[in-house]
Amino acid sequence: MNISPQHRSTRIQIFVYCVLGFHAVVALIAPFLPLMPTDKQDSGAMLQGFSSAHWLGTDALGRDVLSRTLHGGRPSLAIAILATALSAVIGIALGSLAALAGGWVDEALSRLIDFLLALPTLILLLLIASFFGHDPFILIVTLGFMYAAPIARVARASTQVLLARDFVRVARLQGGRGVNILLGEVLPNVWRVVFTEIAMQFTWIILAFSSLSFLGLGASPPTPEWGLMIAEARSYMTINPTAVIAPIVMLASLVLAVQALVDRE
Amino acid sequence: MQCDGSELAFRDNGMKNFARRALFTIGAFVSLAVLSFLGIDALPGDGCTALLGRFGTEAKIAECRVEHQLNDPVIVRLGSWASDVVQGDLGYSIKRDEQVAQIILPRIRNTAMLALVAAIMAFPTAIAAGLLIGRFPRSRIGKAINTMGVVAMTLPEFVIATVLWLVFSIWIPIFPGVTVVPSNATFMELLPHIWMPALTLASVVFAHSMRTMKAGVTTIQAMPFVESARLRGTKERVTLLRHILPAALPPVVNTIAVDAAWLLTGTFVTEAIFNYRGLGRLTIDAISDRDTAVILPIVLFSLGAYLTMSLIADTVVRLLDPRLRQHRS
Repeated sequence: MNISPQHRSTRIQIFVYCVLGFHAVVALIAPFLPLMPTDKQDSGAMLQGFSSAHWLGTDALGRDVLSRTLHGGRPSLAIAILATALSAVIGIALGSLAALAGGWVDEALSRLIDFLLALPTLILLLLIASFFGHDPFILIVTLGFMYAAPIARVARASTQVLLARDFVRVARLQGGRGVNILLGEVLPNVWRVVFTEIAMQFTWIILAFSSLSFLGLGASPPTPEWGLMIAEARSYMTINPTAVIAPIVMLASLVLAVQALVDRE
Repeated sequence: MQCDGSELAFRDNGMKNFARRALFTIGAFVSLAVLSFLGIDALPGDGCTALLGRFGTEAKIAECRVEHQLNDPVIVRLGSWASDVVQGDLGYSIKRDEQVAQIILPRIRNTAMLALVAAIMAFPTAIAAGLLIGRFPRSRIGKAINTMGVVAMTLPEFVIATVLWLVFSIWIPIFPGVTVVPSNATFMELLPHIWMPALTLASVVFAHSMRTMKAGVTTIQAMPFVESARLRGTKERVTLLRHILPAALPPVVNTIAVDAAWLLTGTFVTEAIFNYRGLGRLTIDAISDRDTAVILPIVLFSLGAYLTMSLIADTVVRLLDPRLRQHRS
């Protein structure tokens, strides 16, 4: 049987949606599943392999790896979703206003976007996380601003292209106000392009947050979080590799699925 | 588009463009440097609180601040810091009781070596792979390399590093897993410990330039001049290397520049994992110590690396692409 490329790409897409759905469901229902508490330590059963009591074994403190892995996406997902939403709002507002206003406003906003793009992201994140502690609110606001710049750039470019199109000019000639044109004519059409960029930023934010946790500056220790779990379990990798592999598989499948969704060439 | 300017006019124009671009870079650097100084100054804590920590009494911290002139108004300190930096004095870390230059320069050297090895691993192979995958899009090996590159690009470094470590240090012990060399080790002492972090960094950046190259080759292959070369009976190898490669290269230069700057400044996670004593580890240490005297020059270095790389890339692209030499003013 010869499978046509189109067939194949649909099948890959279905698979990608399944992976994303799986992550969403797990993140939502993890607290209601009959799992062990994520912070219950068992000094009699440290670094065990597979068993009927601990399906994926236990970590160095005797905590259940399966339970921690299934809970481990919740902090990253919550922070990434909120931060991405914030960066989408800021980015679209900045970018489309710059394109719509033109002139010196455009010039000023573009320099602001350039400035945000030039910031050394991870250093800044590390600094803020270190000096202001693990406050999720501050983290979300920082991530939201830092990752808004690429969205703003794409929004500005695609708004500019659309503003020259006939249907927008007609709307303008009919006396529509700037904001109405933006919301009614431009945004629905730039949405698709901008959405791709937003999804990209979503993966970057997840990666940034889990890297922060890995370095010990994101989620704080008893919390189950994939980056943190990998950092903790790495030292005992030779004894119980599943404690490292399980969070790696979850994190990898999540970011790869989002990337595959974005990346349909 | 036809070019009718004389050789001299082109040079003149090119120099002028370059000068303007360089001036802009310097201006951007200076203003970002001042902003960084003010931003880091605004953070809670200074050298004295870093040194004395939680155990420092109010009186001791106040005494330390007087000793190191930290009570001066911010403008005065900015001025004296700026004049020091211009004279090549990066400052003094109260926390580490050492000249910042002495702390930071060996680390920059180590990171530069790591970056160089990673760059040699990643960029030439990425260009070659992109060229071949663009030329033979149906090849299975090409597709596999493309997919692997994208996967490596998408995954966080600590995942790649952990997997590489699991495979090459534990299952097949070829490379030492953890680096235990002092920060002033010679290049030959450092070399055995460079491979794993360099491989990690190389696999992160590989796909960027490969994909840019592939996209360029795909576009350019469809252009009339390639077809005309083929119809003239030019050998396929020559078409690929003399016609397609140079035309596809300029955008790749930009990608490589951004990645090279990242290799010099963004390697925190990789260096932390492999315990490699470069700039990235120093950054993390300095940030967790809140040693602002060390953080500031690191921020400046990373700004400088990005600006310089983008200046170099623009210049190289201008040299590579004849169309840009004249029609920009």
